[in-house]
Amino acid sequence: MPRTADRFSRLRALEPARPAAARPDRPALRAPDEEDRLLQLLGAGVVRNHFGEHLAIRNWYSTPEYAEPSDVSLELLSRTRDASPSRKTRATLGDPSRWLFLDTETTGLAGGTGTYAFLIGLGWWDAGGFEVEQFFMRDFTEEYSLLQELAVRITERPVLVTFNGKSFDWPLLENRFAMTRSIVAPKLAAHLDLLHPARALWKLRLGSVRLMDLERRVLDREGLGWHRKDDVDSALIPQHYFDYLRGGPLAPLAGVVRHNQMDLRGLAALFGKINAMLSDSAGRFEEYESLDLFGLSRFFERRGDSSRAQIACAQALAIGLPRDVRARARKELARMAKRRGEHERAAAIWEEMVADSQDEVHACEQLAIYYERRAKDFPRALEYAKVGLAKLRRERTACFGNSHDPYLASRFARQEKRFIERSARLERKAPPRSSRAPRRGAPGAAEPKANRALW
Amino acid sequence: MPESLAVQRAKECSAIARVHEVLDEFAARDHNREILTAIRHFPAREAQWADFPGWVNGKLRSAYAAKGVSRLYTHQAAAAEAVHSGRNVVIVTPTASGKTLCYNLPVLNAILENSDTRALYLFPTKALAQDQLAELYDLNQRLDHGFGVFTYDGDTPGDARKAIREKGHAVLTNPDMLHTGILPHHTRWTRLFENLRYIVLDELHTYRGVFGSHLCNVLRRLRRIARFYGREPQFICCSATIANPGELASRLLESKVAVLDSNGAPAAAKTFVFYNPPTVNRALGIRRNYINESARVAQEFLKHELQTIVFANSRLHTEILLTCLQRANPHLPGKPETIRGYRGGYLPNERREIERGLREGKIRGVVSTSALELGIDVGSLDSVVMAGYPGTISATWQRAGRAGRRSGSSCAVLVASSAPLDQFMVRHPDYFFGHTPEHAFIQPDNLEILINHLKCAAFELPIAPREKFGDVDLPDLCARLAEAGFLHLAGENYHWTQEAYPADTVSLRSVTSDNFVIIDISGEPNVVGEIDFPSALVFVHEKAIYLHGGQQYHVEHLDFKERKAYVKGVAVDYYTDAVRYTQVRVLEVAASDRGNHPAPATLSEAKALSASPRSASAHSHSHGDVLVRSQVVGFKKIKFFTNETIGDGKLELPENEMHTTAYWVTLERPMLESLPFSVSERQSGMLGLLHALECVATLLLMCDRRDLATAIGERPPEAAPEDGRSVAVRMEEAVSTNARELFEPNLYLYDAYPGGIGFSEPLFRAHDLLVRKTRELISSCACEWGCPSCVGPPGGLAPRAKEAALAILDCLCA
Repeated sequence: MPRTADRFSRLRALEPARPAAARPDRPALRAPDEEDRLLQLLGAGVVRNHFGEHLAIRNWYSTPEYAEPSDVSLELLSRTRDASPSRKTRATLGDPSRWLFLDTETTGLAGGTGTYAFLIGLGWWDAGGFEVEQFFMRDFTEEYSLLQELAVRITERPVLVTFNGKSFDWPLLENRFAMTRSIVAPKLAAHLDLLHPARALWKLRLGSVRLMDLERRVLDREGLGWHRKDDVDSALIPQHYFDYLRGGPLAPLAGVVRHNQMDLRGLAALFGKINAMLSDSAGRFEEYESLDLFGLSRFFERRGDSSRAQIACAQALAIGLPRDVRARARKELARMAKRRGEHERAAAIWEEMVADSQDEVHACEQLAIYYERRAKDFPRALEYAKVGLAKLRRERTACFGNSHDPYLASRFARQEKRFIERSARLERKAPPRSSRAPRRGAPGAAEPKANRALW
Repeated sequence: MPESLAVQRAKECSAIARVHEVLDEFAARDHNREILTAIRHFPAREAQWADFPGWVNGKLRSAYAAKGVSRLYTHQAAAAEAVHSGRNVVIVTPTASGKTLCYNLPVLNAILENSDTRALYLFPTKALAQDQLAELYDLNQRLDHGFGVFTYDGDTPGDARKAIREKGHAVLTNPDMLHTGILPHHTRWTRLFENLRYIVLDELHTYRGVFGSHLCNVLRRLRRIARFYGREPQFICCSATIANPGELASRLLESKVAVLDSNGAPAAAKTFVFYNPPTVNRALGIRRNYINESARVAQEFLKHELQTIVFANSRLHTEILLTCLQRANPHLPGKPETIRGYRGGYLPNERREIERGLREGKIRGVVSTSALELGIDVGSLDSVVMAGYPGTISATWQRAGRAGRRSGSSCAVLVASSAPLDQFMVRHPDYFFGHTPEHAFIQPDNLEILINHLKCAAFELPIAPREKFGDVDLPDLCARLAEAGFLHLAGENYHWTQEAYPADTVSLRSVTSDNFVIIDISGEPNVVGEIDFPSALVFVHEKAIYLHGGQQYHVEHLDFKERKAYVKGVAVDYYTDAVRYTQVRVLEVAASDRGNHPAPATLSEAKALSASPRSASAHSHSHGDVLVRSQVVGFKKIKFFTNETIGDGKLELPENEMHTTAYWVTLERPMLESLPFSVSERQSGMLGLLHALECVATLLLMCDRRDLATAIGERPPEAAPEDGRSVAVRMEEAVSTNARELFEPNLYLYDAYPGGIGFSEPLFRAHDLLVRKTRELISSCACEWGCPSCVGPPGGLAPRAKEAALAILDCLCA
């Protein structure tokens, strides 16, 4: 049938995904001696249940050491923006023996029903150190039995601790459970995803908050007890597994298993670090880098602990922040002060900002509001409103030299409208005194001659 | 609003009178009786009523009553009964006949009876889903929010999606979203799939050709997933009038479908007019610009205070017509514009406002693309003007259906452009008025399409070789996919073994998802557009002048590997035209027929016949598998306005090879030699004939012009080995004077999609009709030497091309 073969060879849809993949597909389960080699290589044993079998690998490590979660950090980590955990959840959460650290290795990052978790790593505190258990499926036929064991473990320890597990690992596992139509996904008592606090704390300083970067730059690398020197490239992990399935070499799998172990231990160590930072009393803040402190302040703020947020923010400013971050920190600090009713304090910060020429438009607007509503100094308020407007227009001209962004344009327009309306109102309340400059931090901006309604 | 009956009656009468006045004015202008080529009157039809079926929930009945629907049209009642009895149905109705009720009534009834019931609605566009959402939402309010109804598409915000998956009783989406967003994530939709009872497919006639072939495969996947959750959903389809709605539906659904094509809705008296713009230069076949003429016609209606909709075939023409009409009808200061545009790209809110304005009569005229052709509710207008033939009989009736107030009289005018199809239609009104609309074809077992969806299916659920997925050898295909690294057999099932998400790489609408990005590097690099792979070779090869948004760009560099074309803005007085060589090789003849003689069934018979050419007629036609090789080998620089060639260049671009299906006509030597024409005249005649054949073929097939392509090639000599491997004939598409004469040429019409999309066989069957209609097209054209309306523009052809083409056709028809 040369013609039929010809027909298939021309189909683009059948072109091999990558040249190396074009080898005959054969079952991943191999001859007994090779199976034994796999068990030895991974240090694994076979687990059997009524769904079939899969491999399990167990190890105990002395590092990271057990970190006792403080009440404060538990409260902060489990709280979401709009809800606090229930009393029952809190009880389970407070018992670290019910915690399960989890990290999966998958056949891809795309999600959806065709992505599998072929290696599931679990960890928990034990005997002052860290116990790691990994389930591995030798082929897709072993998925059910693996999920069954996972369900048992989660039922025993229903508090999940992950890194990005809320949006990746757990939904993926839920999908896998749903695909079985027979094993019900266990219910979690709580899920602590450390990605979010890590991002708040270190994104500013590190730029990237991959677990590996955190290990290197946040955790004490020397004291970790493992090193990533020969670690597999995580981008290649799915391909290692596919190669193995098609009868390829076993050795890379050992690397993948080790990678997963290190990720789990790193996750536990990261918990220790975050726990320590969140539990610290304000007095020890000096030990931290200023950027981390500002990050910490933002995390406190996001989880609704504004008093600690304020302390951390002030501390960060006192130590000294880079210019662009300084403006944001001051803005935050002023906002927090304003919200707590400390209007004079907020005004002082805004005036510093104007003097320092940082985000002056915002500060001018806030000062105009402050002098109008609080201090009742209308002429002063009017001056700030006018200076703000002039600065806003200058900023806009500078912005639109390059491009026209409709969102930016409408933001400018809204801000402009607010300034104009405020100025008009203030002029009615108190006609401007002849070009009187503000007492402190006199902004040297040219004032607009007249308020034109539109540019 | 509250008008006395008498006043209303008076208004209607005057509307009829005004329509007549306009028609009289057109007629008065037409001294040579060449402009109005047809005026047909269609009488009004009374509504035929039926009661609500007894099983309809009382609450639903009163909700409809509150909307003013207390009785049903007969077709609505019949549809509801058919759905209620559990059958798959396709309902065929014209525009504005209340088809949404046909599916909403049984579906909502089922939801009210059992609140677990779920239904999925598929619309070809997001705008249609939005429109239906408004309708369903209105009903829902009258039912105290008894059910959840949502649209789910690319615009749905992330935080709303979860609620929709849980609470949506009726989820309104489109095939693309189903394909990439729902099916690959079916575990998130467990609630819907476990209770999925109805699938509504509206505008079924849009699912034809490549799009329909893709949709059929998406439905295969959908049914497969529904079965996984233990459901066999029932399908309710609605289609505009096409020739084969039942066939199309049963091919798409791959099961039996009951066709309901009676119509109980009332219709207004209607006048249908064909308007051919007057000729300016008879010899060259040049007519007055049809866009300007359309504006003039529309303005006539508007002047007589008749609410008018103007359809244009492109966005650009919409804008031009809109500008003309707005200038002619300046709105009063402080009052809103009374003439509006409507097309994709307008914001949803703006569209809603225009639709409302039309219903309330505040907007007097609207200029639209095909966007308003589909079932968007704008009420009915007084008159419709079509600037150019919409491409199919079916779409023309759809658009004409926009005119027709239930009482009173209305008018639809088709203004023809100089394109061959348009000219054919206006000059053969009986073809239009007497003929059934087109057939819609799909080819879901096109291997290229099927395999792509098989990959998606394997991603969604592991696939067992014993399953059925189209008409293919599934174990073999799965094994091949495993060999190529996409699947892996574990136990009894094949599992997906790729990191990538297969649905992302499969586009349902475009021919290929492989696109070139066009980057302007005049200043900061800036993406100006994208272009699909086959077009890229023709339009953005190096040194080409690429036109985009009225701006000329010079192509500096074509990065083939990265699929990028780097261009710089220029202003020059020429454009470029790629010189392409296309070569078609016949791989396998599926069937062949010699003229009017009995058809030989097999290749060997055909060969036996062709071995004795003198014994049979002067031509044969066939269909089968072909290999098309095309290559852009150079380009010409052509000066604007004068069209002189001012330079050329050679290009080395990769050859594009495509295995597809074709229909072809073989012209035999003795016949050609018997014609009284020179060699180059004969060649031009054949090219002209091909041009016209292609136009008529797209008409018969109801397909997009881009789905079909043409070539001329040499028929392999008899002595050639069976597989034709040693034969490699080269044929230039453009004819030059020194072109070698073809011995026995084949005129090919092939499917411009790898693997073929199912046009060849219908064309083969329709050969006689195709040839006859082509002859009518050319012979009735008033031009002397050929024009774009028949054999193509005279510039590129020998002077007697039209005559030669006709002579060949005479032989073909003999």
